[in-house]
Amino acid sequence: MEVTILVQAIDKAFEILEKATNEEKARNEARELLYTSAKFTSETKFLAEKREARALLSGAQQSRLALRNFVLTFFFLFAFWILLSARFDAFHLTLGIICSILVAYLSHDLLFFNIRLGDFRIEARRFFAAAPWFLSQIFRANLHVAYLALSPKMPVDPQILRFRTKLESDISWVALANSITLTPGTITVDIREGEFFVHALDRKVAYELSTGEMEDKIAHVLMEADHVYIQDVLDVSRIFGALK
Amino acid sequence: MTRATDDIIIRTVARILIPFIQLYALYVIMHGHHSPGGGFQGGVILGASFILYLLTHGLEEAKTRMSEVKATLFSSIGLLIFSGIGLLCLILGSNYLDYGELSTILKVIPAQARSLGILGVEIGVGIGVMAVMFSIFFDISTGGSIPNDGENLGERDE
Repeated sequence: MEVTILVQAIDKAFEILEKATNEEKARNEARELLYTSAKFTSETKFLAEKREARALLSGAQQSRLALRNFVLTFFFLFAFWILLSARFDAFHLTLGIICSILVAYLSHDLLFFNIRLGDFRIEARRFFAAAPWFLSQIFRANLHVAYLALSPKMPVDPQILRFRTKLESDISWVALANSITLTPGTITVDIREGEFFVHALDRKVAYELSTGEMEDKIAHVLMEADHVYIQDVLDVSRIFGALK
Repeated sequence: MTRATDDIIIRTVARILIPFIQLYALYVIMHGHHSPGGGFQGGVILGASFILYLLTHGLEEAKTRMSEVKATLFSSIGLLIFSGIGLLCLILGSNYLDYGELSTILKVIPAQARSLGILGVEIGVGIGVMAVMFSIFFDISTGGSIPNDGENLGERDE
Protein backbone atom coordinates (compact mmCIF):
# COMPACT_ATOMS: atom_id res chain seq x y z
CA MET A 1 0.00 0.00 0.00
CA GLU A 2 2.80 2.37 0.90
CA VAL A 3 4.40 1.61 -2.42
CA THR A 4 1.21 2.58 -4.28
CA ILE A 5 1.08 6.00 -2.61
CA LEU A 6 4.73 6.59 -3.37
CA VAL A 7 4.28 5.57 -6.99
CA GLN A 8 1.38 8.03 -7.22
CA ALA A 9 3.64 10.73 -5.79
CA ILE A 10 6.22 9.97 -8.46
CA ASP A 11 3.57 10.21 -11.18
CA LYS A 12 2.44 13.55 -9.77
CA ALA A 13 5.98 14.82 -9.74
CA PHE A 14 6.45 13.80 -13.38
CA GLU A 15 3.24 15.60 -14.27
CA ILE A 16 4.43 18.82 -12.61
CA LEU A 17 7.77 18.48 -14.32
CA GLU A 18 6.17 18.17 -17.74
CA LYS A 19 3.65 21.00 -17.28
CA ALA A 20 5.78 23.59 -15.50
CA THR A 21 8.50 23.80 -18.10
CA ASN A 22 9.28 27.49 -17.60
CA GLU A 23 8.81 27.94 -13.86
CA GLU A 24 12.17 27.24 -12.27
CA LYS A 25 10.95 27.05 -8.67
CA ALA A 26 8.15 24.60 -9.32
CA ARG A 27 10.46 22.44 -11.35
CA ASN A 28 12.98 22.31 -8.53
CA GLU A 29 10.33 21.41 -6.00
CA ALA A 30 8.94 18.73 -8.24
CA ARG A 31 12.38 17.30 -8.77
CA GLU A 32 12.98 17.22 -5.03
CA LEU A 33 9.66 15.46 -4.49
CA LEU A 34 10.62 12.99 -7.16
CA TYR A 35 13.94 12.18 -5.55
CA THR A 36 12.50 11.80 -2.05
CA SER A 37 9.67 9.59 -3.20
CA ALA A 38 12.02 7.51 -5.30
CA LYS A 39 14.24 7.01 -2.27
CA PHE A 40 11.31 6.07 -0.06
CA THR A 41 9.94 3.75 -2.71
CA SER A 42 13.13 1.80 -3.05
CA GLU A 43 13.47 1.57 0.73
CA THR A 44 9.89 0.50 1.27
CA LYS A 45 10.13 -1.97 -1.55
CA PHE A 46 13.28 -3.45 -0.08
CA LEU A 47 11.69 -3.80 3.35
CA ALA A 48 8.53 -5.29 1.92
CA GLU A 49 10.54 -7.81 -0.07
CA LYS A 50 12.49 -8.75 3.01
CA ARG A 51 9.30 -9.20 5.02
CA GLU A 52 7.79 -11.32 2.26
CA ALA A 53 10.88 -13.48 2.06
CA ARG A 54 10.77 -14.05 5.81
CA ALA A 55 7.05 -14.85 5.72
CA LEU A 56 7.60 -17.27 2.85
CA LEU A 57 10.18 -19.19 4.81
CA SER A 58 7.87 -20.64 7.40
CA GLY A 59 7.32 -24.17 8.56
CA ALA A 60 7.83 -26.75 5.85
CA GLN A 61 9.83 -24.45 3.61
CA GLN A 62 12.20 -23.60 6.46
CA SER A 63 12.92 -27.26 7.13
CA ARG A 64 13.29 -27.97 3.42
CA LEU A 65 15.80 -25.13 3.14
CA ALA A 66 17.68 -26.51 6.16
CA LEU A 67 17.76 -29.94 4.49
CA ARG A 68 19.01 -28.44 1.21
CA ASN A 69 21.73 -26.56 3.10
CA PHE A 70 22.64 -29.75 4.96
CA VAL A 71 22.96 -31.82 1.78
CA LEU A 72 24.90 -29.13 -0.11
CA THR A 73 27.26 -28.60 2.82
CA PHE A 74 27.75 -32.35 3.11
CA PHE A 75 28.79 -32.69 -0.55
CA PHE A 76 31.16 -29.73 -0.39
CA LEU A 77 32.76 -31.07 2.79
CA PHE A 78 33.04 -34.60 1.45
CA ALA A 79 34.78 -33.30 -1.69
CA PHE A 80 37.17 -31.39 0.58
CA TRP A 81 37.77 -34.58 2.60
CA ILE A 82 38.65 -36.57 -0.57
CA LEU A 83 41.03 -33.78 -1.56
CA LEU A 84 42.76 -33.92 1.83
CA SER A 85 42.76 -37.63 2.48
CA ALA A 86 43.32 -39.20 -0.98
CA ARG A 87 42.77 -42.66 0.52
CA PHE A 88 40.05 -44.56 -1.27
CA ASP A 89 39.64 -47.67 0.89
CA ALA A 90 36.25 -48.33 2.44
CA PHE A 91 37.41 -47.58 5.98
CA HIS A 92 38.66 -44.07 5.25
CA LEU A 93 35.73 -43.21 2.97
CA THR A 94 33.33 -44.27 5.75
CA LEU A 95 35.24 -42.12 8.21
CA GLY A 96 34.98 -39.26 5.72
CA ILE A 97 31.23 -39.67 5.36
CA ILE A 98 30.77 -39.78 9.15
CA CYS A 99 32.96 -36.69 9.66
CA SER A 100 31.24 -34.76 6.86
CA ILE A 101 27.81 -35.56 8.30
CA LEU A 102 29.01 -34.50 11.75
CA VAL A 103 30.38 -31.16 10.55
CA ALA A 104 27.38 -30.57 8.28
CA TYR A 105 25.15 -31.17 11.31
CA LEU A 106 27.24 -28.80 13.45
CA SER A 107 27.37 -25.95 10.94
CA HIS A 108 24.88 -26.46 8.11
CA ASP A 109 23.50 -22.99 8.78
CA LEU A 110 26.89 -21.31 8.35
CA LEU A 111 28.07 -22.09 4.82
CA PHE A 112 24.91 -21.25 2.86
CA PHE A 113 23.22 -18.98 5.39
CA ASN A 114 21.85 -15.74 3.95
CA ILE A 115 22.61 -16.73 0.37
CA ARG A 116 19.75 -15.74 -1.86
CA LEU A 117 17.61 -18.49 -3.27
CA GLY A 118 19.03 -18.07 -6.74
CA ASP A 119 19.60 -21.08 -8.93
CA PHE A 120 22.92 -22.48 -7.86
CA ARG A 121 23.80 -23.88 -11.30
CA ILE A 122 23.22 -20.55 -13.04
CA GLU A 123 25.46 -18.83 -10.49
CA ALA A 124 28.22 -21.38 -11.04
CA ARG A 125 27.98 -21.06 -14.83
CA ARG A 126 28.04 -17.28 -14.66
CA PHE A 127 31.02 -17.41 -12.32
CA PHE A 128 33.06 -19.45 -14.78
CA ALA A 129 31.96 -17.22 -17.63
CA ALA A 130 33.08 -14.11 -15.73
CA ALA A 131 36.34 -15.56 -14.40
CA PRO A 132 38.48 -14.68 -17.49
CA TRP A 133 37.39 -11.03 -17.23
CA PHE A 134 38.45 -10.89 -13.55
CA LEU A 135 41.76 -12.58 -14.36
CA SER A 136 42.52 -10.18 -17.22
CA GLN A 137 41.62 -7.26 -14.95
CA ILE A 138 44.06 -8.51 -12.30
CA PHE A 139 46.75 -9.05 -14.94
CA ARG A 140 46.36 -5.50 -16.31
CA ALA A 141 46.35 -4.02 -12.82
CA ASN A 142 49.54 -5.95 -12.04
CA LEU A 143 51.28 -4.40 -15.06
CA HIS A 144 50.06 -0.93 -14.10
CA VAL A 145 51.28 -1.22 -10.50
CA ALA A 146 54.63 -2.58 -11.73
CA TYR A 147 54.90 0.44 -14.05
CA LEU A 148 54.12 2.80 -11.13
CA ALA A 149 56.67 1.15 -8.87
CA LEU A 150 59.45 0.94 -11.47
CA SER A 151 59.18 4.35 -13.12
CA PRO A 152 61.77 6.73 -11.64
CA LYS A 153 59.28 9.48 -10.72
CA MET A 154 56.86 7.07 -8.97
CA PRO A 155 53.74 8.92 -10.13
CA VAL A 156 51.47 7.64 -7.34
CA ASP A 157 48.49 9.66 -6.20
CA PRO A 158 46.96 7.76 -3.27
CA GLN A 159 43.35 8.48 -2.50
CA ILE A 160 40.40 7.06 -0.61
CA LEU A 161 37.28 6.52 -2.66
CA ARG A 162 33.91 6.41 -1.00
CA PHE A 163 30.88 5.07 -2.82
CA ARG A 164 27.55 3.47 -2.12
CA THR A 165 26.99 0.14 -3.78
CA LYS A 166 23.72 -1.02 -5.25
CA LEU A 167 24.38 -4.62 -4.27
CA GLU A 168 22.09 -5.82 -1.52
CA SER A 169 23.21 -9.05 0.10
CA ASP A 170 26.13 -9.64 2.47
CA ILE A 171 27.70 -12.21 0.22
CA SER A 172 27.88 -9.89 -2.79
CA TRP A 173 29.32 -7.09 -0.63
CA VAL A 174 32.05 -9.46 0.50
CA ALA A 175 32.60 -10.72 -3.06
CA LEU A 176 32.96 -7.13 -4.30
CA ALA A 177 35.25 -6.14 -1.42
CA ASN A 178 37.49 -9.14 -1.95
CA SER A 179 37.66 -8.65 -5.73
CA ILE A 180 38.67 -5.02 -5.16
CA THR A 181 41.35 -6.11 -2.70
CA LEU A 182 42.53 -8.88 -5.03
CA THR A 183 43.10 -6.38 -7.83
CA PRO A 184 46.52 -4.79 -7.29
CA GLY A 185 46.41 -1.06 -6.59
CA THR A 186 43.11 -1.03 -4.74
CA ILE A 187 42.28 -2.18 -1.22
CA THR A 188 38.90 -2.21 0.50
CA VAL A 189 39.41 -0.46 3.81
CA ASP A 190 35.93 -0.77 5.25
CA ILE A 191 32.25 -1.39 4.51
CA ARG A 192 29.76 0.58 6.53
CA GLU A 193 26.15 -0.32 5.76
CA GLY A 194 26.62 -0.60 2.02
CA GLU A 195 29.12 2.24 1.78
CA PHE A 196 32.55 1.19 0.56
CA PHE A 197 35.81 2.89 1.53
CA VAL A 198 38.49 1.95 -0.98
CA HIS A 199 42.14 2.99 -1.04
CA ALA A 200 43.38 3.49 -4.62
CA LEU A 201 46.98 3.93 -5.68
CA ASP A 202 46.49 6.51 -8.42
CA ARG A 203 43.92 8.35 -10.50
CA LYS A 204 43.68 5.80 -13.31
CA VAL A 205 43.01 2.91 -10.92
CA ALA A 206 40.43 4.99 -9.06
CA TYR A 207 38.72 5.93 -12.32
CA GLU A 208 38.50 2.32 -13.45
CA LEU A 209 36.95 1.37 -10.13
CA SER A 210 34.43 4.20 -10.17
CA THR A 211 33.01 3.09 -13.52
CA GLY A 212 31.33 0.29 -11.56
CA GLU A 213 32.07 -2.42 -14.11
CA MET A 214 33.24 -4.83 -11.42
CA GLU A 215 30.10 -4.16 -9.38
CA ASP A 216 27.93 -4.97 -12.39
CA LYS A 217 29.82 -8.19 -13.06
CA ILE A 218 29.37 -9.33 -9.46
CA ALA A 219 25.70 -8.35 -9.53
CA HIS A 220 25.39 -10.49 -12.66
CA VAL A 221 27.26 -13.48 -11.23
CA LEU A 222 25.34 -13.50 -7.94
CA MET A 223 22.07 -12.83 -9.74
CA GLU A 224 21.47 -9.44 -8.19
CA ALA A 225 21.01 -7.66 -11.51
CA ASP A 226 17.70 -9.43 -12.02
CA HIS A 227 16.21 -6.72 -9.82
CA VAL A 228 14.94 -3.61 -11.54
CA TYR A 229 16.33 -0.68 -9.64
CA ILE A 230 13.92 2.21 -9.29
CA GLN A 231 16.77 4.68 -9.72
CA ASP A 232 17.64 3.13 -13.08
CA VAL A 233 14.03 3.45 -14.20
CA LEU A 234 14.03 7.10 -13.20
CA ASP A 235 17.29 7.76 -15.04
CA VAL A 236 15.87 6.19 -18.17
CA SER A 237 12.62 8.12 -17.88
CA ARG A 238 14.49 11.43 -17.53
CA ILE A 239 16.41 10.71 -20.72
CA PHE A 240 13.17 9.67 -22.38
CA GLY A 241 11.56 12.95 -21.29
CA ALA A 242 14.47 14.98 -22.67
CA LEU A 243 14.17 13.22 -26.02
CA LYS A 244 10.48 13.94 -26.18
CA MET B 1 32.69 -9.75 27.17
CA THR B 2 33.23 -10.36 23.46
CA ARG B 3 30.68 -8.69 21.22
CA ALA B 4 29.98 -9.53 17.58
CA THR B 5 32.20 -7.70 15.13
CA ASP B 6 30.44 -5.20 12.88
CA ASP B 7 32.83 -5.88 10.01
CA ILE B 8 30.78 -7.73 7.46
CA ILE B 9 33.80 -9.12 5.58
CA ILE B 10 35.24 -10.80 8.66
CA ARG B 11 31.87 -12.22 9.67
CA THR B 12 31.03 -13.63 6.26
CA VAL B 13 34.47 -15.09 5.56
CA ALA B 14 34.59 -16.68 9.02
CA ARG B 15 31.19 -18.22 8.38
CA ILE B 16 32.37 -19.73 5.11
CA LEU B 17 35.66 -20.97 6.58
CA ILE B 18 34.42 -22.52 9.85
CA PRO B 19 32.92 -25.73 8.34
CA PHE B 20 36.14 -26.37 6.41
CA ILE B 21 38.28 -25.73 9.49
CA GLN B 22 36.16 -28.22 11.42
CA LEU B 23 36.45 -30.84 8.69
CA TYR B 24 40.21 -30.28 8.52
CA ALA B 25 40.41 -30.79 12.28
CA LEU B 26 38.54 -34.09 12.00
CA TYR B 27 40.85 -35.11 9.13
CA VAL B 28 43.90 -34.42 11.32
CA ILE B 29 42.38 -36.48 14.15
CA MET B 30 41.35 -39.41 11.94
CA HIS B 31 44.64 -39.63 10.03
CA GLY B 32 46.80 -39.23 13.12
CA HIS B 33 48.12 -42.79 12.89
CA HIS B 34 49.07 -42.46 9.19
CA SER B 35 50.41 -38.93 8.87
CA PRO B 36 51.54 -36.02 11.07
CA GLY B 37 48.89 -34.79 13.47
CA GLY B 38 46.73 -36.58 15.95
CA GLY B 39 44.26 -36.05 18.72
CA PHE B 40 45.79 -33.03 20.37
CA GLN B 41 46.51 -31.08 17.17
CA GLY B 42 43.12 -31.87 15.66
CA GLY B 43 41.41 -30.99 18.93
CA VAL B 44 43.14 -27.62 19.04
CA ILE B 45 42.06 -26.86 15.45
CA LEU B 46 38.50 -27.91 16.26
CA GLY B 47 38.55 -25.71 19.37
CA ALA B 48 39.95 -22.85 17.28
CA SER B 49 36.99 -23.07 14.91
CA PHE B 50 34.60 -22.52 17.83
CA ILE B 51 36.82 -19.72 19.17
CA LEU B 52 36.73 -18.09 15.71
CA TYR B 53 32.94 -18.26 15.83
CA LEU B 54 32.95 -16.67 19.28
CA LEU B 55 35.28 -13.87 18.16
CA THR B 56 33.28 -13.04 15.05
CA HIS B 57 29.70 -13.61 16.19
CA GLY B 58 29.97 -12.65 19.84
CA LEU B 59 29.51 -14.47 23.10
CA GLU B 60 25.72 -14.62 23.09
CA GLU B 61 25.48 -16.34 19.71
CA ALA B 62 28.38 -18.66 20.45
CA LYS B 63 26.58 -19.86 23.57
CA THR B 64 23.79 -21.31 21.41
CA ARG B 65 26.37 -23.44 19.57
CA MET B 66 28.73 -24.44 22.34
CA SER B 67 27.91 -23.51 25.91
CA GLU B 68 29.91 -23.83 29.10
CA VAL B 69 27.84 -26.85 30.15
CA LYS B 70 28.40 -28.59 26.80
CA ALA B 71 32.13 -27.88 26.95
CA THR B 72 32.36 -29.45 30.41
CA LEU B 73 30.35 -32.43 29.21
CA PHE B 74 32.54 -32.93 26.14
CA SER B 75 35.79 -32.66 28.09
CA SER B 76 34.50 -35.38 30.43
CA ILE B 77 33.37 -37.54 27.51
CA GLY B 78 36.80 -37.20 25.88
CA LEU B 79 38.55 -38.27 29.06
CA LEU B 80 36.06 -41.13 29.48
CA ILE B 81 36.79 -42.47 25.97
CA PHE B 82 40.55 -42.23 26.55
CA SER B 83 40.60 -43.87 29.94
CA GLY B 84 37.83 -46.31 29.00
CA ILE B 85 39.89 -47.78 26.17
CA GLY B 86 42.94 -47.88 28.45
CA LEU B 87 41.04 -49.64 31.23
CA LEU B 88 39.45 -52.05 28.77
CA CYS B 89 42.96 -53.24 27.85
CA LEU B 90 43.75 -53.52 31.56
CA ILE B 91 40.60 -55.58 32.21
CA LEU B 92 41.38 -57.90 29.29
CA GLY B 93 44.61 -58.81 31.03
CA SER B 94 47.42 -56.72 29.58
CA ASN B 95 48.95 -53.32 30.32
CA TYR B 96 47.08 -50.02 30.38
CA LEU B 97 46.58 -48.79 26.77
CA ASP B 98 48.08 -52.01 25.31
CA TYR B 99 45.70 -52.18 22.34
CA GLY B 100 46.89 -55.56 21.06
CA GLU B 101 44.61 -57.23 23.58
CA LEU B 102 41.54 -55.59 21.99
CA SER B 103 41.80 -58.09 19.10
CA THR B 104 39.78 -60.60 21.15
CA ILE B 105 36.77 -58.23 21.27
CA LEU B 106 37.07 -56.67 17.81
CA LYS B 107 37.74 -60.06 16.15
CA VAL B 108 40.64 -58.74 14.07
CA ILE B 109 44.38 -59.39 14.02
CA PRO B 110 46.40 -57.62 16.78
CA ALA B 111 48.01 -55.17 14.35
CA GLN B 112 44.60 -53.93 13.19
CA ALA B 113 43.37 -53.84 16.78
CA ARG B 114 46.29 -51.55 17.65
CA SER B 115 45.41 -49.25 14.74
CA LEU B 116 41.76 -49.03 15.77
CA GLY B 117 42.66 -48.65 19.43
CA ILE B 118 44.90 -45.67 18.84
CA LEU B 119 42.20 -44.14 16.59
CA GLY B 120 39.71 -44.43 19.44
CA VAL B 121 42.12 -42.87 21.90
CA GLU B 122 42.83 -40.02 19.49
CA ILE B 123 39.12 -39.33 19.06
CA GLY B 124 38.84 -39.14 22.85
CA VAL B 125 41.84 -36.84 23.14
CA GLY B 126 40.49 -34.66 20.29
CA ILE B 127 37.09 -34.19 21.92
CA GLY B 128 38.66 -33.45 25.30
CA VAL B 129 41.19 -30.95 23.96
CA MET B 130 38.54 -29.17 21.87
CA ALA B 131 36.28 -28.74 24.90
CA VAL B 132 39.09 -27.60 27.20
CA MET B 133 40.45 -25.10 24.63
CA PHE B 134 37.00 -23.64 24.20
CA SER B 135 36.26 -23.42 27.91
CA ILE B 136 39.63 -21.71 28.60
CA PHE B 137 38.80 -19.09 25.97
CA PHE B 138 35.23 -18.86 27.23
CA ASP B 139 36.45 -18.12 30.76
CA ILE B 140 38.87 -15.47 29.50
CA SER B 141 36.29 -13.73 27.34
CA THR B 142 33.70 -13.57 30.11
CA GLY B 143 36.40 -12.14 32.38
CA GLY B 144 35.63 -14.79 34.97
CA SER B 145 32.22 -13.26 35.59
CA ILE B 146 30.02 -16.32 35.31
CA PRO B 147 26.73 -15.42 37.01
CA ASN B 148 26.30 -18.63 38.99
CA ASP B 149 29.72 -18.25 40.56
CA GLY B 150 28.84 -14.74 41.68
CA GLU B 151 25.92 -16.07 43.66
CA ASN B 152 27.98 -18.74 45.32
CA LEU B 153 30.96 -16.55 46.19
CA GLY B 154 31.34 -13.07 47.69
CA GLU B 155 28.28 -11.37 46.12
CA ARG B 156 25.89 -12.21 48.95
CA ASP B 157 28.03 -10.48 51.58
CA GLU B 158 27.76 -7.06 49.91
